[in-house]
Amino acid sequence: MNAPDADAPLIERVKRGDVKAFEMLVVKYQRRIERLIGRMVRDVDLIPDIAQETFIRAYRAIPQFRGESAFYTWLYRIAVNTAKKTLVELKRDPLITESARASRDDDDETSRTENELSDGETPEAVLASKEIAATVNAAIEALSDDLRQAITLREIEGLSYEEIAELMNCPIGTVRSRIFRAREAIAQRLRPLLDTREGERW
Amino acid sequence: MSSESESDASALENLSALSDGELDSTAAARACSAWRDDAAMRSSWHAYQLIGDVLRSEDLASTAARDAAFLAAVRARLSDEPVVLAPESAPQPVDEPAAPQVAHAGRSARWSWMAPSAVAAGFVLVAGALIVTRTPLPNAGGLLDSTMARVGFGSPTSQVVSAPTLAASESVMQAPTEVAVNGRMLRDPRLESYLKAHQQFAGSSALGVPSGFLRNAAAEVPTR
Repeated sequence: MNAPDADAPLIERVKRGDVKAFEMLVVKYQRRIERLIGRMVRDVDLIPDIAQETFIRAYRAIPQFRGESAFYTWLYRIAVNTAKKTLVELKRDPLITESARASRDDDDETSRTENELSDGETPEAVLASKEIAATVNAAIEALSDDLRQAITLREIEGLSYEEIAELMNCPIGTVRSRIFRAREAIAQRLRPLLDTREGERW
Repeated sequence: MSSESESDASALENLSALSDGELDSTAAARACSAWRDDAAMRSSWHAYQLIGDVLRSEDLASTAARDAAFLAAVRARLSDEPVVLAPESAPQPVDEPAAPQVAHAGRSARWSWMAPSAVAAGFVLVAGALIVTRTPLPNAGGLLDSTMARVGFGSPTSQVVSAPTLAASESVMQAPTEVAVNGRMLRDPRLESYLKAHQQFAGSSALGVPSGFLRNAAAEVPTR
């Protein structure tokens, strides 16, 4: 994809001192970063800590981010380095390693660290996550072809609005509107699961 | 949707476009303000991102409570960080004429004094290095340490502090980038950019009067 980084406007805001723009990037990438770290670190309790540390480091380093790679690629590297560094420190510090082992005993000799449980969630939370995934999929199925194609080309294929407009043979404004309507239609079904009271916490 | 006004829908559509990087910088600034001020906007932004993640991979599905808790934790840590102020990059078209480099609102304002004092702290570091050069005593590092603490930079343990010998401090003087390793606001290559950005300090860039700077930094802190 040769299109400019989709995060460029937000990064520009962060560089101008807008911390909230960085928070928006956190919300955008936290799940991917946590999953990545979960594949590197066995101790589930450490994953959120390392993920947080990743974002803090990224925030500190963002003046040096020149946009030569995509923001996520850059963030990915920071996450890998942060996880590696933590693993090295774990070897040095037996106390932390001990607590890590203790929390690991439950699911030893299984491959559970490979699946969704790697983020240390309760069974209820895992169930809730599955429900969210199912709802998104059902909502996508229920979309009109135009809306479904537009959001799929954007979110899965990573195409720009201009490229989607060419493919769908419609103006860019229509693409923009279709993607928004698709997101809103899915979000409408999702909101009961996302719980408005939780929404207050955002 | 029916309960939402048209302006809300338009703001949400902008949020959606921002998520795809398809918003110009003026509209992006507005969308960021909307995120800051409106819990519904924050909730929608999260929903849009979550939808994108789930479309790409179902195992990225996550609950709002969990994601919100993660953001809250990062936010708490961000509040301890100085606001980043990158020097204007040349190829970027300036859309906000003479955009204020120093902080915007809310928490940002809290840090607005930090940038100047960080510049001042940079000079304190250099001044400290000078002191170390002249008096290579064992406690010279402690002196510098307390100087830094007074300016408000207790955490970055400088290499100057850890090696208060004549040779070490000389190498620091010759390779000023090393001073910057632990203090992110103190990076020497940045210093010139900061001086450009903060014109009022440009006249003081002569390095000749470090004592004046010390007083300056100490006076700035309580005024905010």
